[in-house]
Amino acid sequence: MDFSIRAANVEDCKDIARMLMELAEYEKVTDHVKVTQRDLEQDGFSKNPFFHGIVAEVPEQLKTKEAGHTKIGYALYFYSYSSWSGRAVYMEDLYVMPEFRGKGIGKALMSKVAQLGLAAGCNQLNFTVLNHNKSSVDFYLSQGCYDLTDKMGYHCMRCEGEALEHLAQP
Amino acid sequence: MDFKIRAGTKDDCKDMSRMIKELAVFEKKGLDEVKTSHEELEKDGFCQNPFFEFLVAEVPEEHKSKEGFRVVGYTLYYYTFSTWKGRAMYMEDLYVMEEFRGKGIGGGLMSKVAEMGKKNLCVRLQFSVSDWNTPAREFYAAKGAQDITEKDGWHFIRFEGQEFDDLAESAPKD
Repeated sequence: MDFSIRAANVEDCKDIARMLMELAEYEKVTDHVKVTQRDLEQDGFSKNPFFHGIVAEVPEQLKTKEAGHTKIGYALYFYSYSSWSGRAVYMEDLYVMPEFRGKGIGKALMSKVAQLGLAAGCNQLNFTVLNHNKSSVDFYLSQGCYDLTDKMGYHCMRCEGEALEHLAQP
Repeated sequence: MDFKIRAGTKDDCKDMSRMIKELAVFEKKGLDEVKTSHEELEKDGFCQNPFFEFLVAEVPEEHKSKEGFRVVGYTLYYYTFSTWKGRAMYMEDLYVMEEFRGKGIGGGLMSKVAEMGKKNLCVRLQFSVSDWNTPAREFYAAKGAQDITEKDGWHFIRFEGQEFDDLAESAPKD
């Protein structure tokens, strides 16, 4: 399939907002989504952005049946740091619309994040996956990554809401 | 014990580098797995778009460590983004030298990270802990942290070394 991958610009935030809701539906967490298109515009395109994005686009003749979208996939990433290995890149989201899956677009998006990370001096690409998401887990492992949680016993920990408010008390 | 938490400076990178190695040993890693030098920390923490920020815990002269160090703990963190919730942070390291544990320094460092995040409108703080590190797991649970690996099944995945290079190499050419 003919597609291209390019850096997201602020005008893409509308499509990214649309697709992140589709991803939320897929992960069954739509009522947890607080981020708006405006948040993406502010936090992704400021002087010191909180994230960067890339989008996958198809030509006009391959646009989606419904609503005629040509932006059909995206990845969001940001730079992170390992105090042992140095610069790293974290892929927060990877999404391809269902009718465009199985055509190498997801792999191309992920590779592009790795390439951008390598160009920025990173030597690791990290992300998380829900272990019951078998098709995603199989896809990732087939690409040569490894599961740190299984291998090293690392558990993901989170503080938010009241617990975070309480922690932030001086 | 009297201690102060403050933002790390370029000059603190030597102490942080020392403590990064101590943390690696604690995490049962060989010192050869620590690739970062203090010069690299200085570069990556103080460039135009820094890769991280850090805080240090400092004690007065009369409480310095056996080897004479006054900087006795640190936390290294960076800003992230959750496409569900928005601005967030990740606490990469939290470490207090052994002889200074149990005195509230770790809690003080972690609280300060949360406070910094709050100022920047962050709504989430994430980090990781090794499943065998029971004291740390209990410490974090007492602070209200949730283990989302246990709760929801989140797993950390990593590409590094040759596999990372191969993945980058396979990206579509512009």
